[in-house]
Amino acid sequence: MLLHLLVLAPFVAAILMVATSKEDPKSSSRLAFLFAIAFFGMSIALIAGGNQSTEAIEWFRIPGAKGPVYYYLYSHGLGAWMVLLSTGLSLVALITARNTTCKNYRNFAIGIFALMGAMNGTFLAADAVLFFFFFEAMVIPAAVLIAGFGGKDRAKAAMTFAIYTLVGSAPMMVALWYLISQADSGVLLSLVIALQNMPEGVQTAILVCFLLAFMVKTPIFPFHGWQAISYSEAPAPLSAILTGAMSKAGVFGFIAWIIPIFPVNVSVYNTLMWLGLLTALYGALMALRATDAKKLLAFSSMGHLGLAVAGVFSLSEAMLPAVLVLLVAHGISAGAQFLLMGIGERMTGTRELDKLGGLARVTPVFGSLFGFVAILALAIPGTAGFVGEFTVLLSLWDMGPLPALVAGLCIILSAAYMLRFVQKVIFGEQKCEVTGTRMTALEGSSIGIMGVLLLVFGMHPAFITNALHLFDDQAIEAMAKLTNALPATADEVDENGAAPSSIPGVDAEADENVADDNVADVAVPMTEEDFRQLDSNLAANGFSEEERANLIAQLKAMEAEDSAEAAAPAAAEEGGNK
Amino acid sequence: MEMELQAMYVQILALVIFAIGIIVAVSRRNVFFVLMGVELALNAVNLSFVGFAKTLPADLSIAGQIVPLFTIAVAAAEACVGLAMVIMIFRNRESVDSNDFSNLKG
Amino acid sequence: MTNLPLWFIPLFPLIGCIVLGAIALISSGSKKGPSEGFVGALSVLFPALAFASVVLLSFNMPEGGIRATLCNWIDIPMFKVDIGFLFDALSRIMLLFVTGIGTLIAIYSIGYMHGDRGFARFFAYINLFLFSMIVLVLSDSLLLTFLGWEGVGLCSYLLIGFWNHDINNCKAANKAFIVNRVGDIGFLLGMLILCVVGGSTILNYDALTSFISSIAAGGYAEGADVVKAFFNALFTGTFTPDIVVPILSIAGLCFFIGCTGKSAQIPLLTWLPDAMAGPTPVSALIHAATMVTSGVYLLARLSTMFVQIPVILDVITWVGLLTAFWAAVAGLFQNDIKKVLAYSTVSQLGYMFMAAGVAAFDSSIFHVFTHAFFKAALFLGAGAVIHSLAGEQDMRKMGGLLKKTPVTACVMIFAFLAIVGFPGFAGFWSKDLILERLYMSGPMGPFFYVGGLLTAVITAVYMGRLIVLTFFGSYRGSKESEAHIHEAPATMLIPMVVLAFGAVFAGWLWADSMGIKYFEEMLAPVVGAAQAVLPHNAAHVNPMVFAGLGTLAALFGMGIAWAKWGKARIPAAKGSSAPQGKMATWTFFWDYVHGVVVTVVDAIAWFVDNFVDKIVQFAQWLVASIAEILGDGVASFQVRKVRLQIALSLAGVVALVIVVLLTGGLI
Repeated sequence: MLLHLLVLAPFVAAILMVATSKEDPKSSSRLAFLFAIAFFGMSIALIAGGNQSTEAIEWFRIPGAKGPVYYYLYSHGLGAWMVLLSTGLSLVALITARNTTCKNYRNFAIGIFALMGAMNGTFLAADAVLFFFFFEAMVIPAAVLIAGFGGKDRAKAAMTFAIYTLVGSAPMMVALWYLISQADSGVLLSLVIALQNMPEGVQTAILVCFLLAFMVKTPIFPFHGWQAISYSEAPAPLSAILTGAMSKAGVFGFIAWIIPIFPVNVSVYNTLMWLGLLTALYGALMALRATDAKKLLAFSSMGHLGLAVAGVFSLSEAMLPAVLVLLVAHGISAGAQFLLMGIGERMTGTRELDKLGGLARVTPVFGSLFGFVAILALAIPGTAGFVGEFTVLLSLWDMGPLPALVAGLCIILSAAYMLRFVQKVIFGEQKCEVTGTRMTALEGSSIGIMGVLLLVFGMHPAFITNALHLFDDQAIEAMAKLTNALPATADEVDENGAAPSSIPGVDAEADENVADDNVADVAVPMTEEDFRQLDSNLAANGFSEEERANLIAQLKAMEAEDSAEAAAPAAAEEGGNK
Repeated sequence: MEMELQAMYVQILALVIFAIGIIVAVSRRNVFFVLMGVELALNAVNLSFVGFAKTLPADLSIAGQIVPLFTIAVAAAEACVGLAMVIMIFRNRESVDSNDFSNLKG
Repeated sequence: MTNLPLWFIPLFPLIGCIVLGAIALISSGSKKGPSEGFVGALSVLFPALAFASVVLLSFNMPEGGIRATLCNWIDIPMFKVDIGFLFDALSRIMLLFVTGIGTLIAIYSIGYMHGDRGFARFFAYINLFLFSMIVLVLSDSLLLTFLGWEGVGLCSYLLIGFWNHDINNCKAANKAFIVNRVGDIGFLLGMLILCVVGGSTILNYDALTSFISSIAAGGYAEGADVVKAFFNALFTGTFTPDIVVPILSIAGLCFFIGCTGKSAQIPLLTWLPDAMAGPTPVSALIHAATMVTSGVYLLARLSTMFVQIPVILDVITWVGLLTAFWAAVAGLFQNDIKKVLAYSTVSQLGYMFMAAGVAAFDSSIFHVFTHAFFKAALFLGAGAVIHSLAGEQDMRKMGGLLKKTPVTACVMIFAFLAIVGFPGFAGFWSKDLILERLYMSGPMGPFFYVGGLLTAVITAVYMGRLIVLTFFGSYRGSKESEAHIHEAPATMLIPMVVLAFGAVFAGWLWADSMGIKYFEEMLAPVVGAAQAVLPHNAAHVNPMVFAGLGTLAALFGMGIAWAKWGKARIPAAKGSSAPQGKMATWTFFWDYVHGVVVTVVDAIAWFVDNFVDKIVQFAQWLVASIAEILGDGVASFQVRKVRLQIALSLAGVVALVIVVLLTGGLI
């Protein structure tokens, strides 16, 4: 029920907002706050409630696909936290927008609610087609909002944003269609099984199509062309949502729709890790040179998300909680920074770094808050950003010292550009008059709470990491039902289901195991060729001769058991397919 | 003996009306006439439907009689939208000459 | 009586920070600001409470120290760290002077910051600093120490840039933070290396000690090729047991880089002289007495690890020696009274690192201890001078202040005697101890000793110059300003006098040549075992020889200073107080080096902005243009007239029908 509410009710709220007055931002903002607070409360309940899923409802059939598309929602810790970011940032964005976009506040709120619904759908969808539907649907309200409420270059920004992101995910659409024409349905498990039975070339092609969509959305160098202009031209509250929640859809896609589905492809994953690091470096360097405050923040976001992507593809044991903490921390801090910059722009009428300055003297409370949030974004220990960055660094070190060194360099550079930013905006001589509406108490306190949250998560990241149960046995069973429940797959499911229960109490690790199992275990019998491939991969990752031999021997033993069990059902499957 | 209406004649009539409609749509420059021509052609198709339906046994012919009803409903809606558009265009352009409208050319 | 919980100590300043921060924020709108008396009382209360807790705990501390694990901090696969505190002899001595001097300087600041607009904000920062510093020294794991480590760096940034309307202060603050960040990344990588080698549990100091001793017990390949091992690890990412010690060396080097950042050693030292842009009490507390010595603290804390990696210890000694010498010479060239003290701090920190480099961790901590007193006294004295001269910092415009501000002058002269190592004063004991340990350290010992002694002479010269220019001779400032010169208020004088007492007597805790070894015995449980690992030169030299030579060096240096500046007429200063010509080259040598690095980064950023980004944009434009051209091409099929369009499509249909009729279908 909660899941349905979080995905569908925002659209209802958007429709209800139409009934409010266009001229009177006060009354429409009250209704908008009410809705936003309700959604925020729901998302907290969602995290507190642990993993949950809805019944899979048959939605429609795509021509050529084997099974129907399900309206099927599933919440794991990762998605639930992303939903929290989306609802929370929308709430604060609606609060700050009241004084920023006075005119037509109603329409702004309608757009925000539609965007929120689409984002929630993206993070909660358990069917690949449903995921893709929401993934694309996000773009439309965002582009409309940019076009309607943006800065001077808004038309160009909205166009660039919409075309870039939609084109980026077009290959994914084709790949997805091909994939569900082979799989029993769009749920994760069916996709895994379908992919296992494909030749390697096709697998890689599909993988690249999927990656492209997420790389554009994150964005990863060199697909970042839309980002700076969109973030800087969008109204600041929207930029906060875009960077804090929507861009997370890319990283979320990597974690939830690539790593569990595709067989490990070391060369592609390594490339992506380096691309992530390159993005981090690139973002930091561009932020150093930015002259537009919002562009600086956009590049800073890009840098942090690049680091997160690099962390994801380090595929280390600590990857998942590390990246989750980093994403949450970045969502809150970058969101808060954009919101504050929006207030700054409202007060002074400019966002040129050279024209700003000395705001700390004129508006001390704003200045303090600005500095406070900037410091939180610096990943000082004790803030959530530090926990995220340090653990991501730890994951990267798993791939060798060089990635960690590059990431370390990025952290130094991030200090440089962030301090330059702070200095230019709030310190020094006052260069501009404060003419616009100053920061209200409501805005200040809501952004302040975001800051305090970062401190709380920094001192007790277990709040975040404890919620992380990627795929528990119930979910896998449910997905197995939608996978035509072939006997062979049922066996695999039992294995997967058994994994978490064998390590009681250590949730995060257990989930890791499941995720790994999805990658490695749901496999067709491995050939000698596969073993040789694996051996060389392991060697590349620095396992010693002895360890490799040991591992492969174990795998072979498991393989033998599996094939004995699955021989008969596999034959049945063959027959069934013909 | 009553003269049975031959299906062929109905089709010929429909064809004639269709041809008139198309000719009007193509030859007149006034947008209203173009619309009317299109409407006429559409109705000719309806007539053709009914005419063919008549050739079938009663229980099968029902489909052929119902489809025109749908088409008429759609055509009504289309006519509304079409007229509204023409009026809007006229307000903006002060012209009902279809040769003046070439926005799609880019 | 049972002991207080350990977390009480950091709690007090934290509460202080929050309360004062709230006051500062709430009152920021009002013209008048909060009552200074009330804020001042609060801001002294919390550090004083922390100090009282430390004193109370010190008396009840058992031999092995007190350990308390508070709660879990981070718990994810591969990485599990608790928040825990460790109160042992080392953290006790650090805490005592951190909270003690912190309290004194808070009292002093009430007078110094009187009438400042950011009065409450200043004390909020000071309390935050004390909180971070306490966490740094009290934590039982490297990660929590790192929290304090970056926390003090942050407070240093905030306080250097305290008067943030002047963009130069902001730049100095940024520089301090960024240079420290470079060092901090070293610390971070060091922790990562330890995690990889021994799991996240060995971030805990006790666990690290036992890990190291188990490695040492197992023996290791002596003289293993560190560089080769490192590159091996770099390219393969593996850590086989036989290269654990070389890898530990890399970790040690990383930690040492962290220390050079925090403690302003070569090459990360340029930020400390610039940090003098902050209010003087800040310079005294953070940039002289406490924060900058945290690098030395870390070396002592990790002594068990460092004694296993002698290569890095040698690096530390050399860096310490070079820094001490370079900064002492740079101190000669300064005209700004605070800059002289800043370079002298760098130089004294060099001494401490030299001592740590020859595995004399106890004497380096002893020097930290005595230095905290006399350097804080010197800075507070300088602050009082600046205060009485209404902000003048150029020594060439001072002179003859002995009669006008006698108390300040006495405090500074006592502290001066301590820093140059005049017999009986605090610096004499600690510096001599370091020189003695240097001499005994091994084959290179005598060389290090001579270097240290030479630096001691230069120290006496530039400090003598400071004292002479400031307090002796005649006043060189303008007539109007002379009339306003006044002694500082009591809130400032009392802390100075207390610190001067420390500067005179603190050294007697370890008067080695007199046979008093209280300090050494106290620290023995923490660093004693580690120091015994490395062999020392057995040849015994009478300690009186070292004491005599040290005294001679001090007297010689003071003599030079008196001869050169005592009677000379110094021309009235014109222009900036920054050194010029060759002096500037020497002083700013490391700034130039940093400048090169910054320029390279800027150049890369420029290249990325103007070249790489343009290529990406060009690619985008190319794709867009191709799409546009294709679109235009298709659009040309679109004829102009709507009616013609209809006719054509009709003709098309007819043609299609005819074709179908004639051929019976195309397919």
